[in-house]
Amino acid sequence: MVNGYLALVLNAHMPFVRRPEYPRFLEERWLFEAISETYLPLLRIFRSLEADGVPFHLSLSISPTLASMLSDKVLCDRYIVYLDSQLALAAAEEKRVGGDPAFGPLARMYKNLYRADKDDFVELYGRDILAAFDYYYKRGRVELMTSAATHAFLPLFRDSPEALVAQVETAIVTHRKAFGKHPAGFWLPQLGWYPGVAEVLRAYNVQYTVVTTKGAIFGDPTPERGSFAPVECPAGLLAFIRDAEAANAVLSESSGYPSDPVYRDFYRDIGFDLPADYLQEHLEGPGERIFTGFKYWAVTGRTNDKVPYDPRSAQAKAAQHAAQFLAGRSKEAEAAAKLMDRPPLMVCPFDAELFGHWWLEGPAFLEALFRLAASSSGLGLITLGDYARCYPQNQISTPEFSSWGDGGFAEVWLDGSNDWIYRHISKASERMSELAERFPDESGLRERILNQAAREVLMSMCSDWALLMRSGKSSAFGRKQIEEAISNFSRIYDMLCSNTVSTEWLTKLEKRDNLFPDINYRIFRKKR
Amino acid sequence: MIIVKTEKLEALTLEELYALADRTGLDLPPGLERPFVIEEIAEALEEDEEESEERRAFQGEALHIDEKKYSDLRIDDIGPEPSSVSEEAIVSRYNETMIRAIARDPSWAFAYWDVSDADIAAMRGDENTAGLFLRVAGIGQDEGKAASEGHQEYFDIPVNDGDLQWYINLPRSGVRFRIELCARRLGFGKFRVLARSNEVESPRQSLALPKDGFGTVSYMLLSLSGIEDLPLDDLPDGNPLCIFHTDPGDPVDRADY
Repeated sequence: MVNGYLALVLNAHMPFVRRPEYPRFLEERWLFEAISETYLPLLRIFRSLEADGVPFHLSLSISPTLASMLSDKVLCDRYIVYLDSQLALAAAEEKRVGGDPAFGPLARMYKNLYRADKDDFVELYGRDILAAFDYYYKRGRVELMTSAATHAFLPLFRDSPEALVAQVETAIVTHRKAFGKHPAGFWLPQLGWYPGVAEVLRAYNVQYTVVTTKGAIFGDPTPERGSFAPVECPAGLLAFIRDAEAANAVLSESSGYPSDPVYRDFYRDIGFDLPADYLQEHLEGPGERIFTGFKYWAVTGRTNDKVPYDPRSAQAKAAQHAAQFLAGRSKEAEAAAKLMDRPPLMVCPFDAELFGHWWLEGPAFLEALFRLAASSSGLGLITLGDYARCYPQNQISTPEFSSWGDGGFAEVWLDGSNDWIYRHISKASERMSELAERFPDESGLRERILNQAAREVLMSMCSDWALLMRSGKSSAFGRKQIEEAISNFSRIYDMLCSNTVSTEWLTKLEKRDNLFPDINYRIFRKKR
Repeated sequence: MIIVKTEKLEALTLEELYALADRTGLDLPPGLERPFVIEEIAEALEEDEEESEERRAFQGEALHIDEKKYSDLRIDDIGPEPSSVSEEAIVSRYNETMIRAIARDPSWAFAYWDVSDADIAAMRGDENTAGLFLRVAGIGQDEGKAASEGHQEYFDIPVNDGDLQWYINLPRSGVRFRIELCARRLGFGKFRVLARSNEVESPRQSLALPKDGFGTVSYMLLSLSGIEDLPLDDLPDGNPLCIFHTDPGDPVDRADY
């Protein structure tokens, strides 16, 4: 008999960056690092748990842009080049610090990581990571969800219904193509909810999503079970509610687990510490220092005087934190269970890339958590879908507009650094609808160009670019992604209005911005 | 990261360095030797970086976590632009008379607008037109509530001809409103509506308790859910939540729920 349930929900997402026209492109490394440090390590955990007969359950959203990139041949080829480069650097590092008792083992740790990544990616999974996740989906271990097509922050587009529908429909089509199943769950980018999004999602037979504690508690009416059970919106969508205490245990900047002194420091990287001449092959250009992924120091504390990283202590700490996390949730469940008519549910949504990429020991934490939960009788791991099947009756309530960003609303994606984009995105979306109405039955070249126009509008809506503009780093890159998408769309719009199409330009653009190959521009038609 | 920046700065011409100093807000005297220019800029950028770090320390997790996904971030304002420079810049406006509003949070809305060249010309040719203003008008059920509470049903914000966007401070959370872009006419209270925005509703920051109230059990569950950490506009009569108060910890450090 379980006293409560724990639902881990991870959101795997990377914005679409693919620049085959350049021999190397710095921002493509975001994807490669996430594959190496998060996606493949997660799959290794699943394999290890399955080999040991440990039951595990989690919900995992794979965003449509990530799915597009993981199935792209050019990016997969480039990932192997990246791995070879990392292995070459690992070999050089082993030569440089191999004899050092503190750093030698670390150089070998990275060599083993990249070697395992290459073996898994090339040999075990045949370069198909989506198929690897699909294996666990079909086994009922991992429940795959989808998210908005280009991770648009939906509350800011609530007055562009065609654009919203395009985000959702494209996501569903992409998911079905990748995994052969309709997604029951939908991850709202940045947990950005607004009253009204439920109707859009239900129109596509989405059954559930996750909202913030704040959004749910300010919902109408206030949820009588707090965050310990989902609420059902009048449209029929289940809104699972994030557990605030669980989120804080991991995400607090000062006391969250990843800030523990023994864990590996994310920022201290040989890319900035070693002479440029030595790193030449691995940098992007003269003076272009980058994170190489080789980091030898522990968090230590708020000091520049870091101590060398000790993987063994860090692994032990990860297991300890997993136990602490589980104990904390058990305590919560115990307190809530006395007040409830059913076992309380604690929903823990996180960005997947937190585990491994930023918090190196994150995958070890998850593995320990799964193993401990399997051996404990008090708390059961459950997917959102399984919970919905077990407890179909829930309080009717509509959560309030909210997100998990700074301030809890839209402050991150709408401020002085990025607000100018909404005029252009809104106009592009409006014009796209106009085109879809004017040309409802096109085929051949005109259909191709209309489909490309739809892709460009979706790309302009990506919330990551607004976030980068606000962060003050790579804001020029974020700005240019939106400018290019809007500029490409506007050019197509002008071409169609003047009845002239530059086939060469279109073909080039199609080859580069090749996400959502099955897109149908008619998704932008007005709903009647 | 001062090393990185200095390396990048070394790659720039003196003219580019002066241009960068200007963008960074540094007022450098002309004719400075190159090493001094680099030193000044590097110091200024380092200070900016520290401020930025401090700012980030108080920002929410969306920045903290998502930003870390993109580990190879380019440092802004230095050196060459990203290789994906747009072939052509996008237009700054679409030459149409319009206004649109977006609710950002309980206190602020964002509005952007434009007036077409033809409308501007017509206004300039009309000696009775005396500038633009925004009228923020409550709509729907809030009108009655606003009137009973003694609030105005609308308020006006004068804007300059060159303005194209504003953040608007809202009187309270959970308000439905529309914004009108208006041209003032000579004569008391006369104006012409040029464009009307979409309807917008700012999020509520209060509990929507059932009419027949809430049981103690539900208050306890809300308390366990962390309600004490939420910024409530108001609390129910008698504030029963305080009965079940638990230690919420340091509010600055807690994630946004």
